[in-house]
Amino acid sequence: MGCSSSLPANNAGGVGNINNENSATDPKNLRVKLVLLGDSGVGKSCIVLRFVRGQFDPTSKVTVGASFLSQTLALEDSTTVKFEIWDTAGQERYAALAPLYYRGAGAAIVVYDITSPESFNKAQYWVKELQKHGSPDMIMALVGNKADLNDNRSVSSQDAQEYAERNSMFFIETSAKTADNINQLFEEIAKRLPRPTPS
Amino acid sequence: MESPTSPAASRLDFYDFIGRMRRPAAADLFHSIRSFLTSFSHGDPNSAAAADEDGGKVQAFFAEMETAIREHPLWANATNQEIDHALEGLEKFVMTKLFDRTFGSSVEDVKADMEISEKIGLLQHFVRPHHLDIPTVLRNEGAWLLAVKELQKINSFRSPRDKLTCIMSCCQVINNLLLNVSMSNDRTLSGADDFLPILIYITIKANPPQLHSNLKFIQLFRRETKLISEVEYYLTNLISAKMFIINVNGRSLSMEESVFQAHMESARLTDHISVASTSSSQGLGTSITGLSEESGDPEGLRFPFMDSETESLTPAEVKQMHELYRQVVTKYTMLSKALRKLSVDEDQPLNSVND
Repeated sequence: MGCSSSLPANNAGGVGNINNENSATDPKNLRVKLVLLGDSGVGKSCIVLRFVRGQFDPTSKVTVGASFLSQTLALEDSTTVKFEIWDTAGQERYAALAPLYYRGAGAAIVVYDITSPESFNKAQYWVKELQKHGSPDMIMALVGNKADLNDNRSVSSQDAQEYAERNSMFFIETSAKTADNINQLFEEIAKRLPRPTPS
Repeated sequence: MESPTSPAASRLDFYDFIGRMRRPAAADLFHSIRSFLTSFSHGDPNSAAAADEDGGKVQAFFAEMETAIREHPLWANATNQEIDHALEGLEKFVMTKLFDRTFGSSVEDVKADMEISEKIGLLQHFVRPHHLDIPTVLRNEGAWLLAVKELQKINSFRSPRDKLTCIMSCCQVINNLLLNVSMSNDRTLSGADDFLPILIYITIKANPPQLHSNLKFIQLFRRETKLISEVEYYLTNLISAKMFIINVNGRSLSMEESVFQAHMESARLTDHISVASTSSSQGLGTSITGLSEESGDPEGLRFPFMDSETESLTPAEVKQMHELYRQVVTKYTMLSKALRKLSVDEDQPLNSVND
C-alpha cells in the first residue's frame, strides 16, 4: 500500500458532516453510490480515506473499514451529496466479481498509478467494462494517483487526458499523500450528478 | 454508520411488538397479519420462481404495514425509531412463521447449498492465505477464528435481520483486525484489496451451513429499506465470496489448472477415506463429499482384485485391472506432484485450525 500514513491534521475544503439518511429523493440532499475500481496498490482506499478523514474516527466501535465509507459534501448551491463509497478488490483473480459491486452505482472512479503503465492498462479495461455493463448514465472519473511521484512518472497526463475525453470521462491527477486534488475530484463528481427533477 | 445490532435488541423489538399486538387496540393489525399468513399457505412453495414471488409479496406486505402502523393510534406520536422497532418486530414475527416455506425450500436451493458446501469442504484441504493474496501481516488465526464463529452462527437465527447481523459481525471482526494492524504497524488502513480476500478465506474456513439459501433469504425477505448502504455493501461481499468459491479454478488461486485439479482430487480421496473410517458419525457437511461420484458403489467393491489369485484372473479381468492400474498411476502422479508443492509451503493447512 503506497500512501502516507502520517496524515496532516486538517483538510481544507468544503466538506460537511451532514448525515441525512432519508435523502434519496430530496433534490437538495442527494445520495449516490460510488464504486472504486483499479489495480491493487494504486491507492484506491487512500484516496477515500483522505476524502472522509474528517469523519473518520479510528476509536469508533461501529463497523470501521476502509472498504465502505460514506461522506457528505456540501456544495456552493446549498445542495448536499452523500457519497456511499464501495471499494473493490483490485487483484486480477477478483475481477470477475466487480459487476456485483458496480451494479446500480451512480458514479465510478477508475484509479491508476501514474508511475505504472500496467495500472493504466488495467484502468482502460475497467472503463470498457463499465461502458459495456454499467448503468449508461453513470458518472465516470479517471484518476491518475500518486501525482507526488512525478519524477517516476510513466503515464503522461496528456495521454490520460485524451483517453478520458474520448470516453467522455472526467480526468484528474491526485495525490492521496499530499491531499492534492482529492476534494476537487469528489466536488467535480458531485457537480456532474444528475439532479432529480422536482415533481 | 450503522453498527450491527445484537440479538438481544432484536428480541426486545420482537417481544415489544408481540406485546402490542395483544392489545385490543391492535386487533385490526393483528387481523391483517393473520390473513396475510393464511394467504401464504396456498400455492406450491417448492420452486425458485415461487420464492421470488414470495419475496415480492412479503415486501409489499411490509410496506403496507408500515403505512398502517404509522397511522395507527397505538403508535400515535411515535418517533421514527419507535416505528422502526415495530417494523423489525413485524419482520421477525412474519418471517419466523413463514420460515419453513421460504427458507431453502426449493430443490434448486437444496442442491446449490450442497454443492457449495461440498466444494468448500474440498477447498479447505489446500487453500492457504497466500493463494488469495492475503498479506502475511494480516494472518491472525485468533481473529480469523472469531470471524469464522460469527459467520457459522447464521443458522441459529430465523429472521433475516438476525442472519444479517451474523454477517455484519463477521465483517466487523475482519475490519477490527485491519484497523488494529494498520495502527500497530503504522500501515495505511486496508480497503477491499485486503478485506475481500480475508472474507473469502473466512468463508472457506467456516463453511457456513446453507450459504446459498441464507444469502437468498436475506436478499428476498430483509426489509428493502434496511438493505442499503453499508449493510448492502457487506452482504454484497459475502455474495461475491460465494461467487468466487462457485467459480474457483486454478487461475483464481494462481496455480496450474492441473495442480488445482490434483488438489481437488486428493481432497476427494482424503474425504473418501475419512468417510469410510467414520461411516456413521458424520454430520451434513463433508459426509456427502466425494461419495457423489461413485454413489451406489458398496464399500467392498472399491478395491477389487485385492484378494484374487493371479492364476484365476480371466483376460477380461486383466483388461479391467490394467485400466485400474492406469487410473491409479495417474492419480498417484498427480498426488505426489501436489504434495511436493505442499511441502514447499510452511503455512498451516486450513482445516487443521478448524479441528
